[in-house]
Amino acid sequence: MLVLHSNSRLAPGNIAADRGLREAMAGSEARPIQVFSEFLDQPAFGGDAYERTMTTYLREKYAVRPPSAVVVVSDNAMDFVMRNRAALFEGVPLVHLGVSRAHLQSFAPLPADVTGVPIEYDFSGTIAQALRWHPGARRVVIVTGAAERDRVWEARLRREVPHVTGEVALEFLAGLPTKSIVKRLGELGPDAVVFTPGFYLDADGRIFSSARESASLVAAASAAPVYSALDGFIGIGVVGGRMPSFEAMGREAGQIVNALFAGPGRTPLRLPEIVPATLQVDWRQVQRWRIDENLIPADAVVHFREPTFWEAYRKAAILTIAIILFQAALIATLLLERRRRRSAESAVQKQRMELAHASRLAVAGELTASIAHEINQPLGAIQTSADAADLILQAGGDRRDDLLRIVTRIRRDNLRASDVIRRLRALFAKQEPERQRVDLNAAVGDAVMLLRTEARHRKVFVDLRLLPAPVFVLGDPTQIQQVLIILVLNAMDAVQDVPEERRTIVVSVDRSAEGNLITVRDRGCGIAPEHAAKLFDSFFTTKPRGMGLGLSISRTIVEAHGGRITVESPQGEGAVFRVELPASDMTGPVSAGSARAA
Amino acid sequence: MSAKPLIHVVDDDESLRTALLELLDAAGYEAVGYASTGAFLLEPPPDRPGCVLLDVRLPGPSGLELQVALQRQGISLPVIFLTGHADVPTSVRAMKAGAVDFLEKPVERGTLLDAITRALARDGSQRAARDEAHRQSARLALLTPRERGIFDRIVAGKLNKQIADDLGISLRTVKAYRAQLMEKLGVSSAAELGKLAGEQRDAPA
Repeated sequence: MLVLHSNSRLAPGNIAADRGLREAMAGSEARPIQVFSEFLDQPAFGGDAYERTMTTYLREKYAVRPPSAVVVVSDNAMDFVMRNRAALFEGVPLVHLGVSRAHLQSFAPLPADVTGVPIEYDFSGTIAQALRWHPGARRVVIVTGAAERDRVWEARLRREVPHVTGEVALEFLAGLPTKSIVKRLGELGPDAVVFTPGFYLDADGRIFSSARESASLVAAASAAPVYSALDGFIGIGVVGGRMPSFEAMGREAGQIVNALFAGPGRTPLRLPEIVPATLQVDWRQVQRWRIDENLIPADAVVHFREPTFWEAYRKAAILTIAIILFQAALIATLLLERRRRRSAESAVQKQRMELAHASRLAVAGELTASIAHEINQPLGAIQTSADAADLILQAGGDRRDDLLRIVTRIRRDNLRASDVIRRLRALFAKQEPERQRVDLNAAVGDAVMLLRTEARHRKVFVDLRLLPAPVFVLGDPTQIQQVLIILVLNAMDAVQDVPEERRTIVVSVDRSAEGNLITVRDRGCGIAPEHAAKLFDSFFTTKPRGMGLGLSISRTIVEAHGGRITVESPQGEGAVFRVELPASDMTGPVSAGSARAA
Repeated sequence: MSAKPLIHVVDDDESLRTALLELLDAAGYEAVGYASTGAFLLEPPPDRPGCVLLDVRLPGPSGLELQVALQRQGISLPVIFLTGHADVPTSVRAMKAGAVDFLEKPVERGTLLDAITRALARDGSQRAARDEAHRQSARLALLTPRERGIFDRIVAGKLNKQIADDLGISLRTVKAYRAQLMEKLGVSSAAELGKLAGEQRDAPA
């Protein structure tokens, strides 16, 4: 089989048609068909001499292998074969491919052995489509060339297009030099739409090997969107157009060839009337010219559209989204859970603090008498001093020195009373626990001061052993003092029934390996071994009037400070409570203290 | 013999103690302070009129215990208690033991000085009574056994005749002894002798 192309070997239309042809023939049941291709290379070469040479060449070349069928691609090849049929391939069935219906009419009536599916270049349909996509267009500029065939197309355009442009101005750049075409196209404004079927020859005699080449030049030069109606023009800068597909043409021809080779006994092929033009569009141009995507019909063939992310990775995307959603749900659940737990924790924490405060108030109740005494004492002294001063003044005489001394003492006593109140307020005020740097020496000293009167009342001696330099822990001073007071009051209870000489409680502050240590040691009744395990439990008490909260609260407080509380009660030796608190890692006075110690 | 009164202040609170001493000084009293019962008992108070201002709640032995100790030692200084908070049982116990007053701190100046005045008055009268008793005992010691025998019988309310019969001496001799012992005891009439005898009978030995 011989395929005779009108123009260059490399023309994309030829390649596409060839592909369609071979594809269709590959599906044939017949024996393998050998396919030869020849190219007329029009319009670069033409004229009678050339035609004669080509005729001789083809006849002689294919004399040894006469083709069983000839496929002519496009008008020129058909014209050539039809003109020289007497000399060339006489009696060989002819299949035309890519020949327009209008052109075929020029051969009417067609010989019986000439078959094919005609095509229709839909120029006006393309222009109508372009105007739909560019509703603002006021001019349609049509570019054609100077070749014979270009003139044919120009004529056809002049005939057809006015039907669709309506009020839109129509302008032809026909048979101009390429240079001026380029210039004119570059000056177009946004109100223009360009159409070109491509051309083969310009006014300066420049020949284009394919219409595509000139169309490409037009598209590159134009400042307005360029449309065309030839398949294969997509991709050169043309927006698109209604185009019959060369590949489809090739396929149709292939079908016919298959039928021919299958033999005459076969049912005659039912041929479609025409290879339909389909709307093809270059997606990049659609975006470049901001054409409304919604105006692109669903059946349009869109080229060069990057598959959207969704199209390209649908499965992976769905999976990923599912995983992300699942994770998000999981995270949300966990967060919610955490928040719930936090709020529960904070509620528990709040309750503990309430309880701690309640316990401090209970301690306050227990200490009321001694604290009242502690305040009353300086108040009594103040009153008495004032009375003395009064008497001195009444007596007259110069006793300034005595009066000064008395006033000084009044001040001092006043300070003493307010000191007690300050300590009390610090201990019993209901406040949010705070974290600050606490000098353990001072905190313990203050708390023991508050207990002094109580101790005297109970005939207990509190031996306070502080370190020479301040030691710091991080925590809430009130709570630390509360723990100490609970421990000392417990110790006082423990020594209540032992002989007076054993009623000594040693309270000491020391450094330990892991921090700082408060020790409360008594020589009282001790702790029964069976009670030791439950000692820090809530509501465990051995006292007739106790609530069993003191040590449990103490442990809560100490652990909240990151410390621990332990107890030891050797048989008959009383009890030792140790509260170990992490040292404040801030240096300063601490390191100064150790430097002094060293 | 009887000098300016000395007031003893026993209070462990240095501040209050000093203030009290200052006040008493301003009020014209001589006063001395002690931080504890022990400090007070360490040195027996000089035999001077005075009283004790005593804090109930003291380290070591309490004020109430000091009150008892003073009585046991025959130190009859009147005691005024000062207390931070007066509970009924403590005050009752203190008053029963002979306290002059039981004052609550902070104490009014007037109240305190009144109490001190009363205490000193009581001390004065106690002291006078005791001096009188001493004087009489001293006089009685001057009597010979015979005179003492007659005095005892007079104290017992016996008539001269009965005494003469008891002792187997004459009425006249009894009368002579009687005049002699009246002179020694410094009484001029039978009535005075009777009164002295009455006091002697009531007073503890």
